[in-house]
Amino acid sequence: MTFGEYQFRDLDAVIDGVHALFEQWQQEIGPHPVLDEIALEQTKLAVHEWIANLVQHAEFGDREPEISLAVVPNGCAFECAIKDNSEGFDLHEHLLGKSIEEAFPERGMGLLIMQACTNNLRYSRLEGGGHHLEFIVSAGSDPWVNIPF
Amino acid sequence: METTMSFAVEPLNDETVIVRIGKALDFRNAADFKTACQDQVRDGMRNFILDFSETGILDSTGLGSIFSLYRQVSPLEGQVVFAAVSRPVQVVVQLTRTYKVFRQFPSVEAAREALS
Repeated sequence: MTFGEYQFRDLDAVIDGVHALFEQWQQEIGPHPVLDEIALEQTKLAVHEWIANLVQHAEFGDREPEISLAVVPNGCAFECAIKDNSEGFDLHEHLLGKSIEEAFPERGMGLLIMQACTNNLRYSRLEGGGHHLEFIVSAGSDPWVNIPF
Repeated sequence: METTMSFAVEPLNDETVIVRIGKALDFRNAADFKTACQDQVRDGMRNFILDFSETGILDSTGLGSIFSLYRQVSPLEGQVVFAAVSRPVQVVVQLTRTYKVFRQFPSVEAAREALS
């Protein structure tokens, strides 16, 4: 299997590159006794939301952007890590205690989707610069995001 | 058939239009989707059939742009319905429980019959 760590440097191409990887992994997993395809879709969605956040909002200063993605199946879950060399975000400020008040919101759902899909979501600064997001997506869960309608 | 930057738009009649979403509706083209739909609403369209048969990516920004469309057409007694929902789109629909708002049909043809 080609699960492992992959590097991206072009912010214009990273989303398509990530989705191409997931397509490959979906084909490799196929029908699997433990891992389910829905969990891999949820992993893909969480990864997409975070990388979309990096592409749209991260500050890389004068550095060439570097984003690495690692996805590893472990039992009935996928373990995921995304590193980048941006200046980072105050993720807890954006997530803790946040909910959506507006009906049919146009914005603000991305981090809540990530939070709903994942377990053990951790975000930390790397020694030497850059940031590291880690999470687990477990098979068989039925997560949901409370969006007012 | 009218093709925008990302979306093919096919009018069915004076009030109903099919929007072929294509490979992705996400932060990269959500603004194009909104513009395309606003143009249709301005031209009198009220009912939108969104064809997701080819769609591999629907993200939070894309979903927000569909909510924007819904907010435009619901006061006009219009509808937004989903057709031929692919698995990646179904994951987002299930996660956000938006099946409570947007009726789903197995095919564009089925949606078309229901709205005619």
